[in-house]
Amino acid sequence: MIPRLQAEDISRSFAGTRAVDGISFDLNSGELLSIFGPNGAGKTTLLKILAGVIRPDEGRVSVDQNVVEVSERLWRSQIGIVTHQTMLYDQLSGRENLLFYAKLFDLEDPEDRIRETMKTLGILEMADRFVGSLSRGFQQRLTLARALLHDPKVLLLDEPYAGLDLYASRLLRDRINSLKDGNRTVVLVTHSFEQGLELADRVAIQARGRFVFTGLNEGFRLTEFEHLYCNTLQECGF
Amino acid sequence: MKYLSVVWAVARKDLLVEMRTLERLTAMGAFSVLIGVLFHFSIDTSLIRVQTIAPSLIWMATIFVGMLGLGRIYTIEDENRALSGLLQSPISLDALYFGKVLSNSILLLSIVVLILVVFAVFFNLSFPGGWLGWISLSGVILLGVLSFVSIMTLLSAVAVNNTMGESIIPVLVLPLLVPIVIHTVTATNRIFANRPFAEIEGNLRMLAAIVLIFLVAGASLFRFAIEE
Repeated sequence: MIPRLQAEDISRSFAGTRAVDGISFDLNSGELLSIFGPNGAGKTTLLKILAGVIRPDEGRVSVDQNVVEVSERLWRSQIGIVTHQTMLYDQLSGRENLLFYAKLFDLEDPEDRIRETMKTLGILEMADRFVGSLSRGFQQRLTLARALLHDPKVLLLDEPYAGLDLYASRLLRDRINSLKDGNRTVVLVTHSFEQGLELADRVAIQARGRFVFTGLNEGFRLTEFEHLYCNTLQECGF
Repeated sequence: MKYLSVVWAVARKDLLVEMRTLERLTAMGAFSVLIGVLFHFSIDTSLIRVQTIAPSLIWMATIFVGMLGLGRIYTIEDENRALSGLLQSPISLDALYFGKVLSNSILLLSIVVLILVVFAVFFNLSFPGGWLGWISLSGVILLGVLSFVSIMTLLSAVAVNNTMGESIIPVLVLPLLVPIVIHTVTATNRIFANRPFAEIEGNLRMLAAIVLIFLVAGASLFRFAIEE
């Protein structure tokens, strides 16, 4: 079986510091990988490399065996990314923001697509309000709409729950859970074990740029995973 | 067609955001009027013929106002890290560059019109007579603005990922402005002096070449300036 998302020994340094250091993994279609790790572990850099926003110094990343350097534009059209930053323009309405992205992704029938995506995420009634006037929860759902608009094969989520209240966080988690339809591969970076473990098929712990633990999520209990996490980091000299 | 529609989408988005906030237009407009008022009180028009110094003053105002406004080209992209969203989309980065050049040229051209009106009001400046004079003046303004914006769009991108921020822009841009200033001021001077078109043609050609060089260099180097 050809893996949907494949990272082969990727590394990236900034000013002599190795932010990502020889990470490799394969993810199949429909799988969700949750990555945990302390601050400064290089998780966001890893996601940026997977998104094609920054290039690795070594190694290669591919989606369905299309390598990022070879087919960069095709690559980007297959990736959706959500971070705690909305990447939206506060002065434009939700619909205007999505229309702008639809143009960048050269989507057909953008109006219908936007309506459908907004409806699925429960934000259609907010479509014509300026993004800056929306609550953080709605902004984040709009961010998810932006990332899903072009129907990407791989969805990258970097701390998507940051700054959300309990209810908004729950709603977003339900939406992300509904994306596990077998067609999409998801990589989730989070500090929350509860949120990460609830959705994950596979888990990884990243420290000092490396994956120091990888495994299947075989029903980890929260306290059990907490022990595993702390022990692993201790063994790594934290 | 797809390429042009991306260029237009970027420019339209920038202009829409600017129209709604009026952040840069207000600052640039106010600064233009202030320059006009300052010169109005500092220049004794009974001693100096305004017509001879107006071209330098107009272009000086344009450059200072331009540096004030265009140094903040990427401020809207910095908010909510929208730039990451643009970089993650499958567009060619030079389309993004040309979109930015287009929106900022429209913005600066509207300010140059305001500067001309301010100088006409405060100095009773008489504009060149005849359609050829107007076409020449429009051509010089268009090419001058395009060359200035094309280099500012690139250098402002350098400032985005630089620890010195906007303060690095004047250091980088001023040496590159020398050829633009020489040809725009010389051509504008000759247009205001109602000299024959043959005397302006050479400056227009040089400005067109500068625009071409700056646009090609800007589009080629933009990726290295904007990427992390």
